[in-house]
Amino acid sequence: MATVAPGVPTGPYHAVLDHIHPEPTSFIRKYVFSIDAKVIGIQYMITGGIFFVIAGLLAEIIRTQLLSPHGAILSAATYNSVYSMHGSAMVWFVVIPLLTGAFGNFVMPMQIGARDVAFPWLNLVAFWIFPVAGVILFSSFLVGAPDAGWTEYPPISLQGPPGTNLWCIAVFLIGISSTMTGINFLVTIYKMRAPGMTFTRMPLFVWAQFATTPLLFIATTALGAALAALFIERVFGVPFYDPKRGGSPVLWQHMFWFYSHPAVYIMIIPGFGIISEVLPTFARKPIFGYKMIAFSSVAISLLSFSVWAHHMFTSGMVPWLQLPFMIITMVIAIPTGVKIFSWMATLWGGSINWKTPLLYATGFLITFTYGGLTGFFLAAVPLDYHEHGTYFVVAHFHYVLYGGSIMSLFAGIYYWWPKMTGRMYNEKLGQLQFWLTFIGFNATFTPMHWLGLLGMPRRVATYDPQFQFWNQFASISSYVMALGTVLFFYILFDSIRNGKKSGPNPWGARTLEWMVSSPPPYYNFKKIPAVLAAPYDFGNPLPYLGLEAAPGATEATPTSASHPVPTY
Amino acid sequence: MDLATIEKVVAFVGALIVFAFALVGLRGEWPKNGLDDNVTKVLLGLMAFGCVLVVLACFGVLPHGGGGA
Amino acid sequence: MAVSVATHGHDAHDDHGGHDDDIIYQETRDMRLMGFVLFLVSDVVLFSSYIFAYIYLRNSIQPNWPPIVDGHQLPRLDTAFAAFNSVVLFGSGVTMHYALESWKHANKGRFNLFMWLTIFLGLDFLGGQGYEYAHAQIGGWSGNIFGASFFTLTGMHGIHVFLGVCFLFALWLQTQRGVYTEHRFFGLTAGTLYWHFVDVIWVVLFFLFYLW
Repeated sequence: MATVAPGVPTGPYHAVLDHIHPEPTSFIRKYVFSIDAKVIGIQYMITGGIFFVIAGLLAEIIRTQLLSPHGAILSAATYNSVYSMHGSAMVWFVVIPLLTGAFGNFVMPMQIGARDVAFPWLNLVAFWIFPVAGVILFSSFLVGAPDAGWTEYPPISLQGPPGTNLWCIAVFLIGISSTMTGINFLVTIYKMRAPGMTFTRMPLFVWAQFATTPLLFIATTALGAALAALFIERVFGVPFYDPKRGGSPVLWQHMFWFYSHPAVYIMIIPGFGIISEVLPTFARKPIFGYKMIAFSSVAISLLSFSVWAHHMFTSGMVPWLQLPFMIITMVIAIPTGVKIFSWMATLWGGSINWKTPLLYATGFLITFTYGGLTGFFLAAVPLDYHEHGTYFVVAHFHYVLYGGSIMSLFAGIYYWWPKMTGRMYNEKLGQLQFWLTFIGFNATFTPMHWLGLLGMPRRVATYDPQFQFWNQFASISSYVMALGTVLFFYILFDSIRNGKKSGPNPWGARTLEWMVSSPPPYYNFKKIPAVLAAPYDFGNPLPYLGLEAAPGATEATPTSASHPVPTY
Repeated sequence: MDLATIEKVVAFVGALIVFAFALVGLRGEWPKNGLDDNVTKVLLGLMAFGCVLVVLACFGVLPHGGGGA
Repeated sequence: MAVSVATHGHDAHDDHGGHDDDIIYQETRDMRLMGFVLFLVSDVVLFSSYIFAYIYLRNSIQPNWPPIVDGHQLPRLDTAFAAFNSVVLFGSGVTMHYALESWKHANKGRFNLFMWLTIFLGLDFLGGQGYEYAHAQIGGWSGNIFGASFFTLTGMHGIHVFLGVCFLFALWLQTQRGVYTEHRFFGLTAGTLYWHFVDVIWVVLFFLFYLW
């Protein structure tokens, strides 16, 4: 039993010999049913990427339809299905799995100095639910896809086509997967940090995942309950939501938004974490306000449970409840603002290295702040009466979801791509891709604010001709975005085929995942390092003890010992 | 005695016994401090509270206005 | 519960002495315990959601509860029988507690007795639920919002009880096969917590449907 060097604080708790299982050699166990968190993370990324392409194509169909005020290509009924599936797929099958499952699995265990997550088998199951659920979701097109929007408000969803049942099953399954991931990550972060890694020495991405976990395993269950009730009402005729039989459609809205507002933060807090990693690395400066950024994630996470009814100001909710919900919603802007200003202060005076991840991170700062401000407008009850159900809302949540979550995903993929593959991407093309996406995105969604304020309702297949110019402008801009996405996949393929070897740490970053070779060895760390400080003090020596050797030389050979203890 | 009265008598006696044993178990748990022990304290306490509810039901204190077949 | 062993740079190739084994067991066990408790928290939210739905629907037609369907008032549920059935379930919770205690004190005979008592009481409760379902004159599962909330919530609870009985039976089989030792019995801890959780959910449901 090795002892710790003098002065090294020991972790509150740490797995000494965690998960010593030999590296599998068969293709199936190594790449398909792997229990290695890194492989699972990449599997999430590929699956999520496929769903991103499908859901993105649905979005382009929507924009093409809206080229003409009379609807260019689809019938109104098909159009309803298309936008419903676009929303459902993007929320549950792209953004949430990518931000939690993909980056959480690939990056988080390495960042805390662990060899794997706490429950590798649970992780495997959680992942494999995801593609199955995705197939169920998209197969609903075969029987008539759901057509009441991604929110599936009853009573419309009660009368919806049979695919709505499949939608319920698919989203329920992905909810189970999220719950498993949430529990898994919370236990991992709580119990498996390397010695010396106290909570205030954790990388901010880990803090972000930590703050997200309660949303995953608490809020998601509420959604599961709501979905199950919708399903049994549709299939067995049990009255919950049907007003004709004593049920209440507003009940669905409460249960749905009790999940789905926290889900908004599931979709952004890990993105905050990615941004918090990228900014200091490319500004070569310690992050400004480490503790404030960390705690504000937790504050957002806790507050997000008490704001759901701001989606329901126009739903006939009790009027006296509107004011507290409005105020708490606005209060969330405080921790978010703390983050934004800390990030700007991190950039301030740094020696800035304009690589693609940083471009995306600064793009995120601009678009997300913009989306946050319009969210502030929507939280105000009187303004919401005017804007609810218009394109203003569409513009707002695309600014936070695309301009926030997807931008941070792009930043994260560019940032950790060399770690995943061991190869660099083409920097020039990456920057071009950023500008295509950024300009295309803003040109697509900025006009929607104006359309919404002028009164164009969302979720309509045809519209008044007075809105035509900005709709066409948005549609054509969305093709620029699509071009950017195509270029993005080209960049990745090009990098795999022709990319230069990146070495273990191409960015000069300081978190633990960069201390091992790229791609990382099966065990992450042959020896679990000890941690002396938070990772962001650029200029100081690295705060780690016991790393095998200089970065790049680390080689954790598979051990022959299988799990040595019966763990009952 | 009709069926409901028999049920109430059995429930009342049972509730007293279960309540007593729950308290004894709770006392045994009290000094322990593991996560499982702490959760058990809460859950045993709530079970004891459940016995109180049963007693209230047996005497018709709850629900208001009697109830029961 | 924390194991205060300070190690760093611990080589994956080290062979594992008995002491290491204990540490690994302890740490793995604590992780699984935490994960299991979080699962129970998640399950609490599942029940809470339906309880919220019940309270919401009930409030929407106050003060007429049970609701009036097709012109006549639905009856209240059978409180006396439910009180009896509740005691059966709470009793099984207490016997399960003593079963685990007996295991911790290596008293196999008492463990078997309490374990079987628990399983028997659990099955008794399920039978009672069947009786209750057969006699509840509230219009069935899909008749009205009272039936919908009552049968959904208690049905979901009943499924949990049924799975719990299966769980306990599987645990008992494992004890017979010698899976657990006096010091390593995480499965039994998890089973006990699950069973207590199921009982405590019933405390809430009993109050909401019979006493409120």
